[in-house]
Amino acid sequence: MDMKEKIEQLVDYIMKNCLWQFHSRAWDRKDQNAGVLTKATQILCGEAVELETPTDRCFWVDAVCLAEAYKSRYPWLAAMSKEEIKQIMQGLHERMDYLTITGSLNLELTDQHY
Amino acid sequence: MPYHEFECSKCIPERKKHAVIKGPGEDLTSALPQGYLSTIPGSISERGCAYCGAKHVIGTPMKDVIHLSHGPIGCTYDTWQTKRYISDNDNFQIKNTFATDMKEKHIIFGAEKLLKQTIIEAFKAFPAIKRMSIYQTCASALIGDDINAIAAEVMEEMPEVDIFVCNSPGFAGPSQSGGHHKINIAWLNQKVGTVEPKITSPYVINYVGEYNIQGDQHVMMDYFKRMGIQVLSTFTGNGSYDELRGMHRAHLNVLECARSAEYICNELKKRYGIPRLDIDAFGFTTLAEGLRKIGMFFGIEDRAQAIIDEETARWKPELDWYKERLRGKKVCLWPGGSKLWHWANVVHEEFGVDVVSVYTKFGHQGDMEKGISRCQEGALAIDDPNELEGLEAMDMLKPDIIFTGKRPGEVAKKVRVPYLNAHAYHNGPWKGWEGWVRFARDIYNGIYSPIHQLALLDISKDEIPTDKGFETQRMLSDRDLSEDITASTVLHQYSGKYDCLAELSGKTYPRFETDLAHAV
Ligand code: SF4
Repeated sequence: MDMKEKIEQLVDYIMKNCLWQFHSRAWDRKDQNAGVLTKATQILCGEAVELETPTDRCFWVDAVCLAEAYKSRYPWLAAMSKEEIKQIMQGLHERMDYLTITGSLNLELTDQHY
Repeated sequence: MPYHEFECSKCIPERKKHAVIKGPGEDLTSALPQGYLSTIPGSISERGCAYCGAKHVIGTPMKDVIHLSHGPIGCTYDTWQTKRYISDNDNFQIKNTFATDMKEKHIIFGAEKLLKQTIIEAFKAFPAIKRMSIYQTCASALIGDDINAIAAEVMEEMPEVDIFVCNSPGFAGPSQSGGHHKINIAWLNQKVGTVEPKITSPYVINYVGEYNIQGDQHVMMDYFKRMGIQVLSTFTGNGSYDELRGMHRAHLNVLECARSAEYICNELKKRYGIPRLDIDAFGFTTLAEGLRKIGMFFGIEDRAQAIIDEETARWKPELDWYKERLRGKKVCLWPGGSKLWHWANVVHEEFGVDVVSVYTKFGHQGDMEKGISRCQEGALAIDDPNELEGLEAMDMLKPDIIFTGKRPGEVAKKVRVPYLNAHAYHNGPWKGWEGWVRFARDIYNGIYSPIHQLALLDISKDEIPTDKGFETQRMLSDRDLSEDITASTVLHQYSGKYDCLAELSGKTYPRFETDLAHAV
């Protein structure tokens, strides 16, 4: 399985099971994707996660669940080095930004109000 | 773009962009219908108006309130009693409905005087109720009655009462969703922050976008209480007016129906810094994950885990009994808005059914993004369908059952497709572990009803067998199952009570002494 296929597996899990990636406006989606995926990467790499603010904690709980699901479903993750995990999670982040923001056909994303 | 054009809608070409089929390799950047647009003239839509969305969906579940429509009697009559959002004060808000009963003469001479009289009369008739919501309708909006001014006048004369005004006439949006939006923002602007709540736990949430359909909120409250969480308010099922005025003091907004209530969560985040956590309380794994996340947020995940373990052990054998019998059945998931994504994946995973179509009456493109992502390949996704399209889709997809509202549901019955009421439920609650099994039971009963089997025969053309006796559900559902399953001593049918809520009232909950010391 190449990198692209692995990323698609990770995307598919998020799309089928999560809700955090679909907030209603582009700026929220950007924050959500960055917040959850950065923390999930840190968890998967065994690094410290910042939990200063309530918003941090909120990203973190979604990130913990995501990291756990990835570990249990995709055994190939365990065989990866930290660097490789970071690389694949970066690819995942870019793909999620594309699917939910930059490539999204949702015309309401740029509405200035909630 | 894999648009799907209905034969019946060829004469309305704009409809083509409102339906897509999620084919192999398609993703959201190539398969997303248009949404939240005004219904195209000529298409007989199944939507409600913006007044209905504000009053009927979000306003009226508030229990300790006189809900008064300022308009002709028809508006209020049609938004009365058709949703089962029960409350623990003897269902005051379902039993009673109030209207100013505007007539032609008021359209000509104005209806502000009538409004004031009606407000006072209603408060006098129900002296125990001191809170009121007034809903504008098309008629009162078009003649320009100043409802806010009248409400302010009454509040000055009767200082013991408080009135909320919702200016969301029927025409204030393409569908009921416009009304959801208006009432979210109006409540936030007018009422949030006007009461300071008493904080009794270090873990304080608002439970948002939950309407207590057949007791869903009671079920969820039970879990929250078992975790020692203080639910400051529920927006709005079984919700209390004054509790909802104190929403600004929560530490976390737990959001379910993002379609109808994400606006208030987004604004609470922006104005008060309260984060928004979206959860799905339908389904075993999804609800477990939701409770775990709330637990982790507060550092009490062990309390969530205890509930998850207990409830899963109690109900899983019953869920699996139904799953074995529902596996592979084709479902059209045709609700109003949020259930299309709440359910799209979890009904497949946990009931074993295949979702062959999703539709939404009033959802936005964001709901379709979630729904299409979660449903299986090949599913037909339709935005704001009309009745003929629904019929054509059923003819094409041959579903075993559809989950929808009662208007399209009755249409489905006529073409011999059983339906379950996705808005008000059949034998709910459907949230919670037990609720999810009750939903599975309703699906099973819908698909395998022996009466329904008889309905499949058309006496005008089919040959009616005379050599066969009446068949039971089990004879129908177990026909092709292995003995391992039919004779299993582990799996069994739903064993809960007819009224599964009765035990919840009066239940005592653990007191977490350490929590009390840290309540802020
Ligand atoms: S569309 Fe206008 S007149 Fe009709 S029910 Fe809604 S508010 Fe009343």
